[in-house]
Amino acid sequence: MGTTAADYLRELGSGRRPDLPETTTGTVRLDVREDGRTEHWRLDIADQHVEVTRSGEDADLVVHGDRDAFDRVAAGEMHVSAALLRGDLTASGDICLFMMLRRLFPGPANARHPREAARAVAERGGRP
Amino acid sequence: MRQERVYVTAGSAFALSDSRGDMVVDPHAPVGLWSFDTRFLSHWVLRVDGERLNALSRDDMTYFETRFFLVPGAASHYVDADVSLIRHRSIDDAFHERITVLNHSAEPADFTVRLEIGSDFADTAEIRQPRERPVEVVADPARNQLRLRYARGRFARETTVTSTAPVDVDEGGMTFRIRVEPEGEWITDLHAVAIIRGAGGRDLRADLAQHRHHVRRGMRDELRQWLDRAPTLAAERGALEAAYARCLVDLASLRYLPLVNFGAVPVGGLPWAMTLYGRDAIITCLQTLAFTPELTPATLRMLAALQGGRLDDEHDEEPGKIVGELRYGEAAAFGEKPTALYYGAADTTPLFVVLLDEYERWSGDADLVRELRHPARMALDWIDEYGDLTGDGYLRYLTRNTRDGTVNQGWKNSPDAVAYADGRLAGFPRGTCELQGYAYDAKRRGARLAREFWGDPAYADRLEREAEELKRRFNRDFWLPEREYYALALEPDGTPVDALTSNIGHLLWSGIVDDDRAEAVAAHLVGPQLFSGWGVRTFAAGQRRYNPVGSHLGAVWPSDNALIVAGLRHYGRDVEAARIAAGMFEMAYLLGGSIPEMIAGYGRDLTKYPVQLPAAGRPQAWSSGGLLMLLGALLGLRPSGDNLLVNPALPPHFGRVELLDVPGRWGQADAYGRDRAASGLARRPRVR
Repeated sequence: MGTTAADYLRELGSGRRPDLPETTTGTVRLDVREDGRTEHWRLDIADQHVEVTRSGEDADLVVHGDRDAFDRVAAGEMHVSAALLRGDLTASGDICLFMMLRRLFPGPANARHPREAARAVAERGGRP
Repeated sequence: MRQERVYVTAGSAFALSDSRGDMVVDPHAPVGLWSFDTRFLSHWVLRVDGERLNALSRDDMTYFETRFFLVPGAASHYVDADVSLIRHRSIDDAFHERITVLNHSAEPADFTVRLEIGSDFADTAEIRQPRERPVEVVADPARNQLRLRYARGRFARETTVTSTAPVDVDEGGMTFRIRVEPEGEWITDLHAVAIIRGAGGRDLRADLAQHRHHVRRGMRDELRQWLDRAPTLAAERGALEAAYARCLVDLASLRYLPLVNFGAVPVGGLPWAMTLYGRDAIITCLQTLAFTPELTPATLRMLAALQGGRLDDEHDEEPGKIVGELRYGEAAAFGEKPTALYYGAADTTPLFVVLLDEYERWSGDADLVRELRHPARMALDWIDEYGDLTGDGYLRYLTRNTRDGTVNQGWKNSPDAVAYADGRLAGFPRGTCELQGYAYDAKRRGARLAREFWGDPAYADRLEREAEELKRRFNRDFWLPEREYYALALEPDGTPVDALTSNIGHLLWSGIVDDDRAEAVAAHLVGPQLFSGWGVRTFAAGQRRYNPVGSHLGAVWPSDNALIVAGLRHYGRDVEAARIAAGMFEMAYLLGGSIPEMIAGYGRDLTKYPVQLPAAGRPQAWSSGGLLMLLGALLGLRPSGDNLLVNPALPPHFGRVELLDVPGRWGQADAYGRDRAASGLARRPRVR
């Protein structure tokens, strides 16, 4: 069983995120739907830090979706951009922040460093 | 004979039809109405009394508006019809067609005008074999409307076609039974709207009025302003002025406003690449800094927003990498293709840094350099951390998506483009030579940005050291001393891949070539193996895989040649630069119209005429931009501090050229040039 979105978001707020530009500032609200109720998470992004709270306050970007969709994104099983195109997530507000949100969620669990993939190919004589 | 195709386009939306305006599914071309990589109309055929129409002539008013003049029946004999039609088509976010039926007889006439309408909602990725989709069709005669809808889960696409004139609507189209008075006319407006998500009830009349206003006023004004902002060219040769104007209009037509909206950015081009390609967009921006610099800040910001942030094999993503391709269609949405955000390109990341630096040199926009420090730094870090795949200091690529990743991740991205002279294919990971040039250039430019704008001299020193080291090693490892050119690539073990290719011209553009080797490289570029007479072939003739109609194995690309000519001038090889540029301009004059993506590599002395290839898109942003870059390179336009340097070296018979109001940090500046042949013997006495 992979990480749920709730687990992931609870852990997200600790420590500096050097991969976020220091110029990125804004608030994101995630509206996670399940069984007819909606859970709100609010992400405050500033100075390469993300502060996560449970709040329904308005935000620069609001992302809606079923819990299942958020869970799959948090587990690295679904690409957030694909989820948006598919309609599994909907976004309103600052789409730029959505592109940053993409970086806050993990990639697929089995992803390799390109050097690792290159070594594997080298062992097969340069044929992928 | 291949059928003529007619397009109207606005942003990433376009409609491609035959010469009479009909659209019928064709496995070899993306015919139909497209928006965001989805075909919203695949069938759009007009008949009068059961007969197809025949085109008398056409008026391509702008890239977003065309009129077809038509008569019913076949073209096989003299046409003396009592009835004719005008099909006036325009596009913005919606597609609009006004059909006018004219009765030329002295009697009232009854006609059955039928428009067959259908959509397969195909994705751009499946033109060759569109798959069957369950399309729900609703004929709504009360509203004069036909609705076509396709849904897969929450992914829904809908086309509504509405007529202003009363009409019988059925699931296959619309039928107008009309009577037209003697010398009279009948008109209907058809409005097709592509709906991506349930947009709710929109008022058609408002849509129509808005569309007309937008096309007639907004888009025309915007195009006029775009042309006004670009420098004015006054040339002795009218063909040059015409080609220049065409390139500017084509560049205007190939811009779209992405969902992440920083302003309009270039798409690749018609008909296959109407979306953002990182490489095409960056190269187009680099080509057009002297002409249409407004494309660049939007492109840089957009690419920064889409920068890779994590490891992902399927999308070939790594932190810091600049995106290769972005699609919005069903295949991307459902992960059938990795194109929702595909990073399979090894050149976009260093070129992003090159563009940022070059833009600052032209514009003086230091704020943008500070704003984009973090993405630029991530891009520079990517080169060594994720781009150096074997640890030997060279930038290489290897797709981690073995299902449908791009095998070759430089600009020559067809599968067999990286080969030895004897035809063997190179092993992976592949490090092509031009990538090393880009990496070298990115480090040098990154060093300047770090020193002058980011307040980080230690980092600047480090980048400069790395760049010098890279240049030294590159000139040792890639140089083939007995052949006097740089190898196309290095094998993972360091063995040079010995093919002679146009890539060596990019090395001049990046400045990685040792000065004492520039002459030999230039000689190859204009030598009989590489130079076709029109331009430099991608792959030199006489080698095993050479093929004059192979995209990257012999064809000649204007975008490629533009970088090569700029590189030659960079090294003072003015004669060779002028020779290649002259061939390119002659190609443009002979073909007329938009500059194609590529032409065949046949020798000019063999064909006398540039041979076009069916695979070549037209217009293409980096081809149109390429011609502008060739002009800029011939004039020797270069920013130097707060001034524009002009150092013309024009080919013989190029004629006198004045480029007025070149925008930049100097405000506006003028550039003048005349070819040497013209200075003594004026062929056309046209004195100012």
